[in-house]
Amino acid sequence: MNEIINHYVDQHTAAVANLAGNGIDWLCQQRQHGIDVFSETGFPGLREEDWRYTSLKPVTARLFQVNVDTPKSEIDMDGLLLDGLDSYRLVFIDGSFYPQHSVLPEENNASMVEALSGAISKHPQNVQQSMSDGVAMEHGFAALNIAFSSDGYVVQVSDNTRLDKPLEMIFISAGDNIAAQPRNTLKVGMHAQAVVIERYITVGEVSTLCNSTSKISLDEGARLDYYLIQTQKSSGYQVSTVEVEQDKDSWFGSRTITLGGALVRNNLTVSLNKTGAHCDMIGLYNISGKQHVDNHTNVVHNAPHCTSRELYKGVLDQRARAVFHGRIKVAQGAQKTDATQANNNLLLSSNAEIDTKPQLEIYADDVKCAHGATVGQIDETALFYLRSRGIDEKNARSLLTFAFVNDVLDEVQIAPLRAALEKVLADRLIEND
Amino acid sequence: MLSIKNLHASVEGNSILKGINLEVGAGEVHAIMGPNGSGKSTLASVLAGRDDYEITEGSVTYRGMDLLEMEPEIRAREGVFLAFQYPVEIPGVTNMYLLKAAINSVRKHQGLEELDAKDFLKLIKEKAAMVEMKQEFLYRSVNEGFSGGEKKRNEILQMALLEPFLSVLDETDSGLDIDALKIVAKGVNLLRSSERSMVLVTHYQRLLDYIVPDYVHVLAAGRIIRSGGKELAHELEAKGYGWIEDLAAA
Repeated sequence: MNEIINHYVDQHTAAVANLAGNGIDWLCQQRQHGIDVFSETGFPGLREEDWRYTSLKPVTARLFQVNVDTPKSEIDMDGLLLDGLDSYRLVFIDGSFYPQHSVLPEENNASMVEALSGAISKHPQNVQQSMSDGVAMEHGFAALNIAFSSDGYVVQVSDNTRLDKPLEMIFISAGDNIAAQPRNTLKVGMHAQAVVIERYITVGEVSTLCNSTSKISLDEGARLDYYLIQTQKSSGYQVSTVEVEQDKDSWFGSRTITLGGALVRNNLTVSLNKTGAHCDMIGLYNISGKQHVDNHTNVVHNAPHCTSRELYKGVLDQRARAVFHGRIKVAQGAQKTDATQANNNLLLSSNAEIDTKPQLEIYADDVKCAHGATVGQIDETALFYLRSRGIDEKNARSLLTFAFVNDVLDEVQIAPLRAALEKVLADRLIEND
Repeated sequence: MLSIKNLHASVEGNSILKGINLEVGAGEVHAIMGPNGSGKSTLASVLAGRDDYEITEGSVTYRGMDLLEMEPEIRAREGVFLAFQYPVEIPGVTNMYLLKAAINSVRKHQGLEELDAKDFLKLIKEKAAMVEMKQEFLYRSVNEGFSGGEKKRNEILQMALLEPFLSVLDETDSGLDIDALKIVAKGVNLLRSSERSMVLVTHYQRLLDYIVPDYVHVLAAGRIIRSGGKELAHELEAKGYGWIEDLAAA
């Protein structure tokens, strides 16, 4: 472990003077704090309860280079864009912002949509305000991200404003053995609305780590549709840490869709801090080979009269392995909480494995909390119904497998994104003779 | 068309059908009536190929083929259609997708070219109009959130599309109000022809006011105990099933 810690501390020492915003006190302090925490804790191990089902060996056995001084890869964006999606777009390659591939809204006083590397000199005060607290450094990955924070997106949507297009944030991993550390900050003002799509992509046969954090806050009455679309290849490692703070009557909807990656770990924590807040957390994972995806969700009801709904569905094939850990905490005084959680899985192979674990901590007495998990097979009645219409058994099974996940895609309300996801899933799952 | 001889079937060791004999000629409509638990739905399911039942004795010949040897999908492709008593909801599969997959699997089996999107759309719109189904139902998940009547209408739509030689309608009238029943009956009657046969399984005579059968059979305790013309249905309606059960027990 020491060797690994020293590797990243050395990288930090060498890089820190060249990171964007060097010389800005508060940011330098955050970075220093990050590397201090990391050098104390290192990466989490299997003995820690929150990490016991996911071995990080493949990540920790390798000494990734953090992205500074990376030769700039040239990327052909054509095949990476979604047909028909009209969006504002920020493109990051190996963690660094690429303005030539990006499409930003015209600058105005109302809202800020920027890359951190540019915004830190252009709008230092705004950036300081929204980045005053990053994600909690509960594990070494978050600490490492803060230690190297120099790029990522910074978005502030002003009060009573609705962005006219979705914001599409594309994170491309293209350099071999590179670790990207995007740090994202998103603030949606009072009664403002935004749609944000974070897409994670690998290009080429490269082994990469993308260790991202996103700190999100929603003011009173704000609404955010937040998509996390992970389509890494089998050599792509990803740890994503997302923290959401919700004010009164705000609405947060996450759609976490994982269609690949050697090892993907998603930490999603949503805190409902004032009455009337609602969060909707939807997840979908479909992996095969020896891929591994681990979703850790954490909903914290801190105030009365808040609601949360959580549904994660997965289809695992071959030797794939998934973990779902859903924690719901209802704090003392959070009366009239209404929380539901479900995790449903289909295993297509006897070698696939799912570990699913709900964890309810309830400190209030007048609450509704429902949870359930299933690991299932194909519904035989539905199978007979399809066969009785002339569809052969193999095709009927594959169609029902597709249907199991396609059902969740109804929650994806951006048509071009939905179509693209549906196509990937249909091509993978539906067998047609 | 269909020849059932001494058919015995059981489920989990319980004998349900105890020697069914039935001959259905081309173009004929047969109604099978009987009290609850008489084995009506079992007979329908066995004909469609549901494998929850064990066939212990007897034979079923369909257009010269051994029906019991055929997989459910092969039966469908050869022109056997079961309208389900409880149509299954399939979230995530649109009605259009199912209908297109179904018609093309049947056409392929018959050596016909598969329909392309345009021709299929034209055909399905025509059929949907026949059962007075709104087009939005075509784009919804199969039967999901459909009312009882809409589900049954969807069954008839599938039947109209596939144009089977032998249709088995399992309690298609149950749970329908009179308007829905008329629409369903209209769809069925439009399909009647000299080369198509139908078996209507029903508890009530009401359906037979709208789809007039050529023959009526009474099933009780796993056997057909009486057969007759359409007037037998009226007799049953007037007297109830009590006397039939007495007859069966005797």
